Amino acid sequence: INRQAVLIQACLLCLLRGSVALPLNCADESSSPVPCTSISQDKLLDRVTQHAEFIYRITEEVCNQYEELYIPYPLRGLKNQGGGTCTSMSFPNLGSKTEIQQISDMRLLHYMLILAQSWVEPLTYLQSSLKNNDHAPDTLVSQLKWVSDKLTRLEQGVVLLISMEEGGAAPPPAALQQALSEPQLGVPDSIFHEYNSLMCLKKDAHKMETLLKLLKCRQTDRLSCTL
Amino acid sequence: ATMWTDSVMLAGLTLTAIFVSHTAGVSAPGRPRLTGCRSPEKETFTCWWEPGDDGGLPTTYALYYHLEGSETVYECPDYRTAGKNSCFFSKNNTSLWVNYNISVVATNAMGSSVSEPVDVDVVYIVQPNTPEDVRVLVVDDDPGPYLHVSWEKPLAADTQSGWITLVYQLRVKETSQDTWEEYNAGMQKGYNIFSLLSGREYAVQVRCKPDHGFWSEWTSPAYVQIPDYMLREHSMWIIVAVFAGFLLFVLTWTVNVKRSSVKHCLLPPVPGPKIRGFDPHLLKSGRSEEMFSALVTQHFPPTSSYDDLLVEYLEVYDVEKQELVLGVKNEDPLAPTRTSDNDSGRGSCDSRTLLTERYAEDGDKGGADRQLGQCVAELASPPLEEEKVEAWSTPFSPPPLHLQRQQVGGARAAYHSVLEIPCDSPCAPGSYGHQGESDISKPGGRGASTTLAEPQAQSAEYVEVQTVDHENVLLLRPLADPGGPDVDYAGEDYSKIRDVIPDNVLLLQREPSAWPCAADPGQDRGERSCPTALQELMQPCKPPGPLQQGLRLVANGYVDASAMLC
Repeated sequence: INRQAVLIQACLLCLLRGSVALPLNCADESSSPVPCTSISQDKLLDRVTQHAEFIYRITEEVCNQYEELYIPYPLRGLKNQGGGTCTSMSFPNLGSKTEIQQISDMRLLHYMLILAQSWVEPLTYLQSSLKNNDHAPDTLVSQLKWVSDKLTRLEQGVVLLISMEEGGAAPPPAALQQALSEPQLGVPDSIFHEYNSLMCLKKDAHKMETLLKLLKCRQTDRLSCTL
Repeated sequence: ATMWTDSVMLAGLTLTAIFVSHTAGVSAPGRPRLTGCRSPEKETFTCWWEPGDDGGLPTTYALYYHLEGSETVYECPDYRTAGKNSCFFSKNNTSLWVNYNISVVATNAMGSSVSEPVDVDVVYIVQPNTPEDVRVLVVDDDPGPYLHVSWEKPLAADTQSGWITLVYQLRVKETSQDTWEEYNAGMQKGYNIFSLLSGREYAVQVRCKPDHGFWSEWTSPAYVQIPDYMLREHSMWIIVAVFAGFLLFVLTWTVNVKRSSVKHCLLPPVPGPKIRGFDPHLLKSGRSEEMFSALVTQHFPPTSSYDDLLVEYLEVYDVEKQELVLGVKNEDPLAPTRTSDNDSGRGSCDSRTLLTERYAEDGDKGGADRQLGQCVAELASPPLEEEKVEAWSTPFSPPPLHLQRQQVGGARAAYHSVLEIPCDSPCAPGSYGHQGESDISKPGGRGASTTLAEPQAQSAEYVEVQTVDHENVLLLRPLADPGGPDVDYAGEDYSKIRDVIPDNVLLLQREPSAWPCAADPGQDRGERSCPTALQELMQPCKPPGPLQQGLRLVANGYVDASAMLC
């Protein structure tokens, strides 16, 4: 029942795609982030957070569908069959609230940007992999496509936010970028490879959503945070 | 060789140990099972397990975990905080977005067993505590009171920094009912509930959920009593109903008071028969005497003077003639005898209508009666069969009132016929009667004088009916013979009743032996020549004997006719 609600929500989101995409129009026209003054930072942050929420919901739906189709029950939730992690150990895993609260806004934004960028390619690969397997239903593939699009927009939004931040459009530190290596997801083109990939995507989407919400409450005095 | 023997010994020992343990009832513990892990605020979490069979020996449990991508195994840092068979992971030991691989090991003297490993990512097992401080307020408002429910976030949840976002849900139920009404309150911490019934008690519960996670438990119910109130619409309807009821009451009372006139208007009474002088109330009183006395008018019934009402003449006929008359009567009552001769008036006897015509013609009140009286005499004369008597009687029904004062039942006239037997014996009127003196003395009645038919053969003599007393006895008086000599009727003449024909017809008899025939100076009649035609007719006549039942035989043979009427 929960999944159906999420699906319906996703469809509504598809319809709202235009409205959601509005604030990022400035960034569409050029590859380099251009400061866009047509939208306020608060609103932009809201929109980016919404993107992250939607991405997580759809990814969760895809994962559940995939699990039902291909993964036997005892092995569900067990990631990394055959070894491997979502991210390399060197990449900081901001795993606790205390840890995150010590990091500045800019650094968080950078972190999120890298995270988002790291998934663009794997998503493309995942889609082609599912298409090649004739057994995969069309809904899965289309949903992944949708996620991929939204992730791109989120990336753009984060770039805008970074540009709005003090410090200007400073690029993310190279060390951070290098630390993020290719996730070891197991044997390519295997079921577990796909499954692990999806699970990692879901986790990273959740992380981004949480970080953005934290950021929202930090930057603005919103009622939703104080109440 | 030694190795081989060692291993054999070891195997043997193990087997012995197992054997011994089984016989003794102790064994290695069974596998424990991790039942679940929960994080209340996305910062710490707890795992619980279920112990297996302990094998009859004291067993210890240990929880071990390692993080994904790391081989380092750690043991549970805190077995106590969360209670028995649990492991609590504090903030320092909790990492989000990382899988924990957790397993529990049960150990006793005999051995140990390991549970199935479980992979847990903390961010997916968030279940907050219940909301705090639920308060319910009854707020008075215009249409009716409503409930304002307020609560606080669970203590540990950090919503202020945005670390966790909670949504709330509440439910309400009337305490006597079974179904809950659920409301989603979003992220707010207050809610208003409307449209609750007055005078009832309600229970309210609240719970919460993180944006991605599990619902918390419901809070313990908060009870509240809705005060009694009346909806404004209800009170208006009550006033309307009371007013209408009052109007109805007034209307009903008015109708009740004017009951008779309403009834008269709606159901007009059917006019009933009215008899002038007849008082229906007397009927109700049940005293018929009074009622009938009311009917008695001045001139009715004639009590004292019958003179102008009653028959003046009695026409007495010879038997044969009468027979003729009667016979004619039988065949065709109307046609042949329409023509009537004035002297006899017989024609009027034949038809009732004719009688009334005559009445109208005459215009004399006594005329018709006269005729009737004559008819009466005619009716009386011979002993008739019953039918004939009846045939005669029909035109006379209903009987003239003045002759029939107390008619009992039947349309037939109860005639009190005085049979006059024509007698050609020299029976002087005056000479009879001693034989049959009766106490005909009735109240108000004069001396009865009955005249017998003149013995003059074939000639009719007339008697005057003087009175009809209350016992329906005709009291006759001989008319003065205009041509004849003045007969001395000092005495009384009586007729002896021979028989009573069943239709109240008296048969008078002349006893030839007993009757003194008064000597008529002017006439010469033989005593014995009073054989009556009647007697001749009545061949199978009964000898004068005992009279029929119901008749009171007076001393000299007269009949108290009143008894017959009963």
